[in-house]
Amino acid sequence: MAPSKAKRSREPCVIPGGFTVLPLKFSTDSDVVCDQHSTILLRGGGEGPVLAVWAIQSVELRERPGTAEPAESKLSRYFTPAQKEGFKVGYIVFKNGSGVTAAKSHPADAPLVVSTEQRPVRTGLKKWIHQYSNSLIQPDKLQADVDRFMQEYDKKKEESEQKKKEAEKQQEEDEEGWVKVTRGARGSKARPHSEAANQKALQRESRKKKRKELLNFYTWQHRNTQREHIAELRKKFEEDKQRIAVLRAQRKFKPY
Amino acid sequence: MKRKTNEMTVESERGMDEEESSHGEGEEEEEEGRKGTKRSMKQGVSEDVVLRPVKMTRGELYKPPTAEELNQLKEAENLFHCSLLKMQMEELLKEVALSERRKRLVDSFVLKVTELLHGVPETDEVELSDQSWLSEDVKVPFLLVPKATKGKFHMAPPASVSLIGSYPLGTCTKPRVSVDLAVTIPAGVLHPKDALNQRYPRKRALYLAGLAQHLSSSPDVGTMRYSCLHGNRLRPLLLLTPPGKDSGSLTLRVHACPRRASSRPAASTRRGTTSAPTGTRASPPGDSALLGDLLPRVHLQFLSAVGAQCAAFADGVALLKVWLRQRELDQGAGSFSGFVGSMLVAYLLTTHRVSNTMTAYQLLRNCLHFLASTDLTENGISLAKNPDSTAPSLSEFHSAFPVVFVDPSGHLNLCADMTANTYKQVQHEATLSLQFWDDPTLDGFQALLMTPKPLIRTYDHLFQLCGLVKLQASCKKLDLLNELMDHSGNYVLTALPFILSLLQRGLGERVFLLTHSLSPDPEWPVDSEPPKHKDQPPLSFGLLLNPEFAASVLEKGPPADSPKAVEFRQLWGSRSELRRFQDGSITEAVLWAGASAYQKRLVPRDIITHLLQLHADIPESSVRYTGGLLDDVIIRGREACSTGEEASLKVVQSYDDLSRKLWQLEGLPLSITAVQGAHPALRYTQVFPPEPVKLDYSFFGREKVSRALVPSEDKPCPVYITPVKVICHMEGSGKQHRYTCHARPAHLDVCKDGLVFRIQVAYHREPQVLRETITPEGMLCYRDNPEAQALELETVHRPYLTSTLHGLQQQHPSFGGACRLAKRWLGSQLLSGDVSDDVADLLVASLFLQAAPFTPPGSPQLGLLRFLHLLSTFDWKNSPLVVNLNGQLTAPDYVEIKNDFIASRETLPVMFIATPKDKKLSVWTKDSPSVQMLQRLTVVAAESLRVLEAQLVDPSQPQDVRVALRPPGRVRRPDPPQPQAGAPAVPGSGPAPRHLSPGRRARGRRQRRGALPVVDYDPVGRYLAELKDSFGELALFFCDPYGGTVIAVLWKPQAFAPLPFKTSQMSARRVEVTGEEARTVPNVEAILEDIRILGEGLVKKVEPRTERWVV
Repeated sequence: MAPSKAKRSREPCVIPGGFTVLPLKFSTDSDVVCDQHSTILLRGGGEGPVLAVWAIQSVELRERPGTAEPAESKLSRYFTPAQKEGFKVGYIVFKNGSGVTAAKSHPADAPLVVSTEQRPVRTGLKKWIHQYSNSLIQPDKLQADVDRFMQEYDKKKEESEQKKKEAEKQQEEDEEGWVKVTRGARGSKARPHSEAANQKALQRESRKKKRKELLNFYTWQHRNTQREHIAELRKKFEEDKQRIAVLRAQRKFKPY
Repeated sequence: MKRKTNEMTVESERGMDEEESSHGEGEEEEEEGRKGTKRSMKQGVSEDVVLRPVKMTRGELYKPPTAEELNQLKEAENLFHCSLLKMQMEELLKEVALSERRKRLVDSFVLKVTELLHGVPETDEVELSDQSWLSEDVKVPFLLVPKATKGKFHMAPPASVSLIGSYPLGTCTKPRVSVDLAVTIPAGVLHPKDALNQRYPRKRALYLAGLAQHLSSSPDVGTMRYSCLHGNRLRPLLLLTPPGKDSGSLTLRVHACPRRASSRPAASTRRGTTSAPTGTRASPPGDSALLGDLLPRVHLQFLSAVGAQCAAFADGVALLKVWLRQRELDQGAGSFSGFVGSMLVAYLLTTHRVSNTMTAYQLLRNCLHFLASTDLTENGISLAKNPDSTAPSLSEFHSAFPVVFVDPSGHLNLCADMTANTYKQVQHEATLSLQFWDDPTLDGFQALLMTPKPLIRTYDHLFQLCGLVKLQASCKKLDLLNELMDHSGNYVLTALPFILSLLQRGLGERVFLLTHSLSPDPEWPVDSEPPKHKDQPPLSFGLLLNPEFAASVLEKGPPADSPKAVEFRQLWGSRSELRRFQDGSITEAVLWAGASAYQKRLVPRDIITHLLQLHADIPESSVRYTGGLLDDVIIRGREACSTGEEASLKVVQSYDDLSRKLWQLEGLPLSITAVQGAHPALRYTQVFPPEPVKLDYSFFGREKVSRALVPSEDKPCPVYITPVKVICHMEGSGKQHRYTCHARPAHLDVCKDGLVFRIQVAYHREPQVLRETITPEGMLCYRDNPEAQALELETVHRPYLTSTLHGLQQQHPSFGGACRLAKRWLGSQLLSGDVSDDVADLLVASLFLQAAPFTPPGSPQLGLLRFLHLLSTFDWKNSPLVVNLNGQLTAPDYVEIKNDFIASRETLPVMFIATPKDKKLSVWTKDSPSVQMLQRLTVVAAESLRVLEAQLVDPSQPQDVRVALRPPGRVRRPDPPQPQAGAPAVPGSGPAPRHLSPGRRARGRRQRRGALPVVDYDPVGRYLAELKDSFGELALFFCDPYGGTVIAVLWKPQAFAPLPFKTSQMSARRVEVTGEEARTVPNVEAILEDIRILGEGLVKKVEPRTERWVV
């Protein structure tokens, strides 16, 4: 695909929607200009004073664009699930509003370079070796993390116990002999209902009923069983007919 | 097919565009079809070929039945498992019966030919040796040796022409409709003394040639060929087909027969006059041939009389014929032909073993039962009611023939040419069929009548005798000249029974069954000489191995001083040695070489080649043993001749030891309740089982704190160490071993015996806890979620599968090998990403657990062939594959699984596999394969099977047998890019990856204890995962983990379509502005660059194959 005219010019490449396309390439000896690590799109609300500096305060990477801040994970690094490799969205926070404007007016024919000699980006084997050595951890540090987690857990548990106790305390009479009536009191003590238990009870009931019932005792019962039997056979017959039709359609009766 | 293969696997090609898009369309059509037919469901299933639950209204279900309907339902219930089988049989009979059109065609053709035959002009009488009256274009279907014989011959119109055989009986079936026509040679042509010196067969051949000459001038006759009856060269036939487009639809077989009264050859004709009569040998083959000529009309009368009594006779015979044909028993010399089949049914009817009112289905069942329970090699049967005094007795028949079934005349053995082995095969098949029939869990109809059982897919080991001319020498060596004369010089048929009995003796209890292919009746054009015996296709032999003894290396004989020792020495020749055993006995014994399972599997080969060489002068070069030809693709290492069974065993032993030690651990906060293996290596199905490694430390870097090894950048990639996963279940509440280990958040790596085990801790209630939710009302509910399922798969299903399959391996020693071959095949076809290890193991396990109509495969190679057959034929759309692990499922379970499956087909995975622990979800195939990949799998499997079988059967194929295990099509790379994880390449498919080069493993250097080796470091795997994460929406990525050097990339069909600009869809895309509209397209150039950058140090080159796309 031939590069579009906008890219060749010294003008920044602005596309509808107010986005600016910044060209980027991986390294200086790379021929391909329009690398997609690259397609940085900027839509800035540049309000501050214009300063020609690209002072960047922080960069935050996310899997998909959006405004929601991810909840700060309290888990230690050993227990945070591995992040997906591949494309991510980066949010760049500039120190000054002018940085945005400067970035937005970056000329289209001067691509930014990702991996420089001073600050190389690890890829391929180097990256995997690095990942592997990073994945080796020291048991004592891991143990410390685990212990910390467990301590926190125990503390939390204690706190909730405490709360419960307090709630129970409230049930008791106060000095004036009043009792505060709440809804939760009995509920918290009673065993929680579970779906499985409910079903089990129902089943038990129906089984009991069945056991007590006499089978084929009355004539109508007998007739009913026969009717059921024939209905069963009929249903089976219909099913088989359908199967045969399907098999015939698939030419499954040609033996050779 | 070939074309598709190519497109699929080339790098960066849009090869499958069309294919995929066509799938897409197909689906759409189907969707529409569904909607369409849902409305018209009542009118019957039309083009919609998907089963769905039957819905009947109450009125339909409960209306009072009519008497007729009641009868019908009752009959179906009583006679068959279900009405399904009855209907299936009816459909099948419809399929094989001749159509009215075909019958009219036959009738008119027979009429024409009869007319023509009656018009044969009479010629002058000439000397028998004078053939000048025949034109050049018609040869005599007879080996005229010696050339000169006394006697006169002339042509004359036949005394009579009549239909015989199956057609007038109504038992003629499609395909290969052949109609027999008996032409009676007029009395004047034959002479009472013609029985001598082969004058009669010679005259008959001349007469046939005369008929052929006359018919060749007629435009009403198409091609004419000669053949011979049951491979007997003394009994030539003339084959006629109608001219024009009908030529393929029927064959008329003209038999020339003598008049009954005129010549009844005396019993002494058997060897002409050249040899002395040998006493009481009754009706030897030479006689059978002549008798056979006399009797067809009598037989026809007999059969039609019997058939007239029994309404289902014709249908029963037709079913039996289909059954025989699927087992390749009905064609060729010594076959159990349809004629013998109808005689058998007649026998059962006349002896009142079956009644005249039985249905075709019952007739077939009773025939099979009779065959299974009656050994005609010991207790022959006779149809003769009151044979005349000249007829030989049954015992006389037995002394002359291996299999005895005497015809109504009492003179002819209908199974004269059959070998005992063929009959044993018939018996074996009948026994098996009855088992399948009675098994409610499987589709008996499919197993009995619909599945072909070719030799190659039926028997564990196969070998072929190639240079059949060598059998001539065998006849001499075995001293079979008299028998050779009985068979009119057909040395193949002469030597066969003797070779069979020799091998049977040698193989002994190693085999359940030794069978052979039936040499097909030769056919040749009328203007050429009859083909030589040696030109027939190679004889194939099949071995059904007894897994218990087949691989034993020792053949223990009788004690040295017993009289049987001589016999034993005579059989084994120089291989027999006197050996002293541990129990003190000194016996004759033969010890075969075999250190590994791979070599032991081939002991039968050694026995066969040795015996054939020793006793029959057949050199090893003409025995082509195809029992283990494919095994070498799973051989690991260079010099060791082992296919990895031993390595697997070592892993399992090491694991057992580890598990013991885990149990003994003290001071754990929670106690262990179970230790379970969860890795293919622990069920013998890892393609290349992990091997203990000794590492050369100089090839690694060191991590500073823990001193663990890390891969070094400038050294070659370290050998891949597979972590063998072990799940350790801990209790709900709640000795020092010096192994190098490394704890990680999710697991613990333990280095033991040069192997690395990965121990993962599990708690059996954890998946359940993950499912728990509490509703606002305080109700505790269980809701399934992917997280819980994944955990359950990991900690419950996989260990269970591993232990069950480990058990299966103990029952069937070839299970592991079969799995490994199957996975190797999947890998070579770049499909292992879509069919996971566990799924492949399950599929192979199903072959062992439900082998019908076969027996469980007894060799890895056979396992692979069956695996391919399963993949290429299974109807995934309409049926669940039930893998009855441990035999835990019963017939009602099968029904339940099937009903559940039909009820919710749309939401279930395309490849649905049910197991006892997983009846409804098919946990293993949830995510893959997709419809497209399953479709491809089916196509590739069918093609691989075709190629593989052709190569195993036909020695003249130019390509290597391993061609089906090579990566497909145009994936060719001169050099491997970089060492890969995994295994050696397919032998002969290119240079092996460098990681096996010397220096990677320490040689003889002592390993210092302590440093953790590099575990589970798989650059290719990481690279592939990164590629999929980055470009998974645009392209598919494939690789062969077992020795491929290529990652194949395929653009998805919709990849290049421009999309409207959105910030969330900017991955790997480029903006294009047209006017006011911004759209994005894949940034192809940059993607290619990225593929290179991501794989830096691993990728040698990226080769765009831009036949159908542009950068």
